[in-house]
Amino acid sequence: MRKDQNLGEYLRSQGVSRRGFLKFCSATASLMALPPSAVAQVAEALAAARRPSVIWLSFQECTGCTESLTRSHSPTVESLIFDAISLDYHHTLQAAAGHGAEAAREAAQEENKGEYILVVDGSIPVDNPAYSTIAGISNLDMLKHSAKDCFAIVAVGTCAAYGGLPGAEPNPTGAVAVSDIITDKPIINVSGCPPIPVVITGVLAHFLTFGTIPELDALGRPTAFFGQNIHDRCYRRPFYERGEFAETFDDEGARKGWCLYKLGCKGPITYNACATVKWNQGMGFPIQAGHGCIACSEPRFWDKGGFYDALSTGDWGSREALLGAAAVGAALGAGSAIRARARKRKAMAEEEA
Amino acid sequence: MENMTLLDFARGPGLQWALWIFCLGVLWRIVGAMYLLGTKDLSKFRRNHYIRDGLRACLTRSTPAEAFEDKIRFQHISGYAWHIALFVSVLFFAPHILFFESIFGFSWPHLPNTIILFSGAVATALLIALLIRRVVHPVQRLISTIDDYISIVVVLLPLITGLAAFAHIGGRYETMLALHLLAVELMLIWYPFSKLMHAFMTFPSRYQSGTFFGHRGVKA
Amino acid sequence: MSSLDTIPVTTEVATGNVAPLLHEIRHALKRLTGGEEGTSIDLKSLPLAPGEEERIEATLGTGEVRAEVDALGPTLIQETSYPGVWLITHKNVDDAVVARFIEVTFIPELLRSQPEDIDAGIDRLENELGS
Repeated sequence: MRKDQNLGEYLRSQGVSRRGFLKFCSATASLMALPPSAVAQVAEALAAARRPSVIWLSFQECTGCTESLTRSHSPTVESLIFDAISLDYHHTLQAAAGHGAEAAREAAQEENKGEYILVVDGSIPVDNPAYSTIAGISNLDMLKHSAKDCFAIVAVGTCAAYGGLPGAEPNPTGAVAVSDIITDKPIINVSGCPPIPVVITGVLAHFLTFGTIPELDALGRPTAFFGQNIHDRCYRRPFYERGEFAETFDDEGARKGWCLYKLGCKGPITYNACATVKWNQGMGFPIQAGHGCIACSEPRFWDKGGFYDALSTGDWGSREALLGAAAVGAALGAGSAIRARARKRKAMAEEEA
Repeated sequence: MENMTLLDFARGPGLQWALWIFCLGVLWRIVGAMYLLGTKDLSKFRRNHYIRDGLRACLTRSTPAEAFEDKIRFQHISGYAWHIALFVSVLFFAPHILFFESIFGFSWPHLPNTIILFSGAVATALLIALLIRRVVHPVQRLISTIDDYISIVVVLLPLITGLAAFAHIGGRYETMLALHLLAVELMLIWYPFSKLMHAFMTFPSRYQSGTFFGHRGVKA
Repeated sequence: MSSLDTIPVTTEVATGNVAPLLHEIRHALKRLTGGEEGTSIDLKSLPLAPGEEERIEATLGTGEVRAEVDALGPTLIQETSYPGVWLITHKNVDDAVVARFIEVTFIPELLRSQPEDIDAGIDRLENELGS
């Protein structure tokens, strides 16, 4: 796609018919979780859309987010979106390496000043910047430098969004989220470990289509994908209501597909699109596969108690501590009773005297 | 821990402190009261049916005296209904049982959510009705202390926040769940130092009164 | 037969979303005959249990019209046994489902020839005649 072309012209030059384009728009609207009635609006916006430059930075991460993205389940639509954006830097996916790659990043940033989208996956270590560097540049410096002239930042994955696994207790590298460092740019958190691939592309599609920041929730996530919690959208919800729970992973209830609440499902406090968008070409999501939700799109999900502890069991401490408190209480009770009796005896003695 | 959410606090340190204070306070009150049993009864010895008299008092004090029956029928029936509804909601909701199981190490069967929702709503409505009656009824108002009002409110809060969390009213689920836990924690802290202690004290003190009456030959 | 098939797992569960969807379709049909615009429902936006999509399909059945559009991969357009209710399945070039819609309309937009494509066709035809 040439820089002076808009997306409509580009697709036409690729031999895509209007029908094909409308199909692309339907799929894109569906991808962005927009109602089908928005297709016409999407078509109009997409036809005139310009190609945005995207710079993708990977910091303290496991590359799972990129793996997820490259397994998006609708290659035609995805590749059209990827053709329609200009992915100018992604050190896992690009062929260039070393100083050449860094020069390309610098050039793209210079050329698209104020307009490029910065995608970040991975957290940023701030205890010692040397914990994670690229081409000798610390993650912290690279983020600050690249964020300076960007239009907006997309923090992909729970690490970039909230610190994630590197930030889990005791957080040995002092890992922080993008939003802990950059405060003067719009940040869109696409959380998840990894995020649902079509949610990543859906957010890119939103930029491509509308060129604006999508509506975000209190945790900076697009409400179109993170607006509803897993429990509310779960197909196993009726079992919860009826009080039908799997007690173990291989009992009769588990086989019948009953609710996984007792096995530690964190669906009720987790906001993500898994229950509707699903994974692996729409085949299913963890709960459908028989495992509870682990709240991977929520901040600090690693430190929220055991994955297999039911949500209603708090961290109430230990039995020893409770018995200790009871023993102290009993001693206090005995003490006050003895004092009361001593007072009484003294009063009686005084009365007799 | 940095970035602790309200829910993290409610499920962690908040819960721990509340339980410690609850255990400490309850034992303090019970042991303190038990020492009072050692008080010598100076009255002449009249009857030797301690256990029978004690148990009888437990029963007779569980229903109103005939003379008052008509006047306090509403209070009598609604009082029982409220306690039953409360026990059903607290003890037979699956997530609650999991909580108790994590502490006590054993569990028991649960009831479907519709029954829990019904009993929770009944308990809430009855407690509000009883609170209003306490304020409106001249005699009740006269014998009520600040302890009664605070205790009722402190028990109402977990009920209301629990129902709200269940029905997704008033906020996101994790917020309502945190508020529900905090309300329970407030109740646990208030519990030992208030009339809520009646849950532990009622029957032992009735029994003690029964034996005391028997000793003195009181027919009651 | 793979040994996986011998694991006794039931997937026949119901979310209770099927009946409301069918009601929605009925209302959409009434609106359509009442002169209002058509309705489109994205099947992906509904939390459906395994097997429920198939159940919806089976309930709707197949009607008189079946068409395939070949643009960016095949798109199957099937009128259901209820006239005016269409099931549209967009697939990509690898034959994987990209999106599914239930459309309540007289004729799905995708079946109409599009003015832009007609213009391009006129150009080609004129080229053909000119040569």
